[in-house]
Amino acid sequence: MYYIELVWEYMKNYMKSRLTYRADFWVEVISDLMFQFTNLIFIFVVFRHTNSLGGWSESEIVFVYGYFMIPYGLFSCFVNLWGFSERYITKGEMDRIMTRPAHSLFQILLENLDPPALMGSLIGTIIMIVSGVQLGIHIEWWHIPALLIMVVSSVLIYTGIYTALTSISFYSDAPTGILPLMYNLQAYGRYPVTIYNRFIQILLTWIMPFAFVGVYPASLFLQREDMTRMALVTPLMGIAIFAVGLTCWNMGVRKYRGAGS
Amino acid sequence: MLAIDVQDLRKTFKVQKNRGGLKGAFLDLLSREYTEVAAVKDISFQIPRGEICGYIGENGAGKSTTIKMLTGILVPTSGHLKVNGYVPYKEREQFVKGIGVVFGQRSQLWWDIGVIESFHLLRKVYQVPEHDFKARLDELVERLGLQDLLSRPVRKLSLGQRMRCELVAALLHNPSILFLDEPTIGLDIVVKTEIRQFLKSLNEQFGTTILLTTHDLQDIEALCSRVIMLDDGNIIYDGSLDELKNRWSRGREVHFQFGSNHSLTRLMELTQGLPVEWTPENDLAAKVWIPLEINVSDVLGRIVGSTDITDIKIVETNTDDIVRQIYQSGSANERIEQEKASERLLHV
Repeated sequence: MYYIELVWEYMKNYMKSRLTYRADFWVEVISDLMFQFTNLIFIFVVFRHTNSLGGWSESEIVFVYGYFMIPYGLFSCFVNLWGFSERYITKGEMDRIMTRPAHSLFQILLENLDPPALMGSLIGTIIMIVSGVQLGIHIEWWHIPALLIMVVSSVLIYTGIYTALTSISFYSDAPTGILPLMYNLQAYGRYPVTIYNRFIQILLTWIMPFAFVGVYPASLFLQREDMTRMALVTPLMGIAIFAVGLTCWNMGVRKYRGAGS
Repeated sequence: MLAIDVQDLRKTFKVQKNRGGLKGAFLDLLSREYTEVAAVKDISFQIPRGEICGYIGENGAGKSTTIKMLTGILVPTSGHLKVNGYVPYKEREQFVKGIGVVFGQRSQLWWDIGVIESFHLLRKVYQVPEHDFKARLDELVERLGLQDLLSRPVRKLSLGQRMRCELVAALLHNPSILFLDEPTIGLDIVVKTEIRQFLKSLNEQFGTTILLTTHDLQDIEALCSRVIMLDDGNIIYDGSLDELKNRWSRGREVHFQFGSNHSLTRLMELTQGLPVEWTPENDLAAKVWIPLEINVSDVLGRIVGSTDITDIKIVETNTDDIVRQIYQSGSANERIEQEKASERLLHV
């Protein structure tokens, strides 16, 4: 309850400070959407040349992409660790965080909220609905709670992976170059993993489980039986990966040394 | 009850050794060498509740490292540490509710939003009841004269205004211990005085324990009943400021201005038998250093009658000089010698 209240308070303050720069807000929303849109165009271009991709139709892949946008938007809004190393370690703002009575990771996430990214989730939902109608999916009562659980799990997976990777900053002073690599890798999860070779399939499922933020949970609603089992594993994976990330973080904080003087 | 209890506290950092040159950089890439550097070396001290304690030392002496361990930011390498009944790094979230921290060089406030909004956010973070918060805020604002600043964003405040807001921010949750790391750095003399008065009254009214680091010894003189001096990770002095002065000040200086040319040998003859040191300044001026055990009047008595003096100025060694002396007296041996010397002086 305490934490939910804090999210609301920080959100209000974000609005207060940011809405004064209204143009900035909209530029961010639009550039974000453009970015997603180019990815979508890529899918359309591919399907100019073929009718199916590893047994998946265009609408199905667009549906998966729509699903992906929902957790991705939430993740971008609430978990923004891009500048962590520079801002909190090098400049020493971590000191301030550590003297406040709330979990350090939580405080940092709150200070870096990015609400414009939520627009992506909205668009994603629309894409899902449109392509779902095209595919003739009947919405059943359990779709709604299932979608919620899947989305939350997917967000937890992203959060876990990025938290774990960001924790490296506690050990080395120099910012690590691994995040852009992850950024490229995560794009792979938006497409059916079956189109990749065995190695990448294993990588995306068990090592860097980006497939759980996209194709696996989405397949539950597409009723693709080949992946239903994996879809049901998503919540477990979410909890496990998040726990790993949080553990890495807590270990890192203990190692934190603080910027000079 | 003790507010702060520190025993054999130690913090070492691993520092990477960089080899020079391009070749060295490549070698560093393959195998790194680390050296252990101890920033704080097994220090112990206790601070009872309600005390204002000054924590001084040169840059890099380990002051900030100690403060960071006391506030739960850093985990000590070894030693025991208890602050306000908690082990800071173990029960951090619970512990920090009872302390206030001000880092003079870094802001605790949010840069973009108004001061009052920062305070409201802090109220939520610290879970201060609305009623307590209002009463406390009103009082702090009144005392530090912040009424007109509350709606301004932090980035538009001057350093002095910001510092006063930082103090309010650190005190909203009514902490029983306040840590101040260089709270008066870069402030003008008026604001400095204001802040000192405020801290003093805070201590008197609420019994708040205050530990502050500073380079401005006037802060110490105005506030602290006790001083802990740190050098190279070791405590080299722990006691009252007066005692520090007595122990380290070695004498006074008397400056003479003469009406006509003086001769140094003549002055030395006049003070023969007294352990004083003359230093010529120019043809018409000279100064003499007089150790503590000799009365200034003895020296003056010998000089005044036989020379043509136009002006006399007696200079007591001030705290800055004493501390500078201690900082500069590099090695420990020299320090012990000096200590012996000053001890001898005291016993006379």
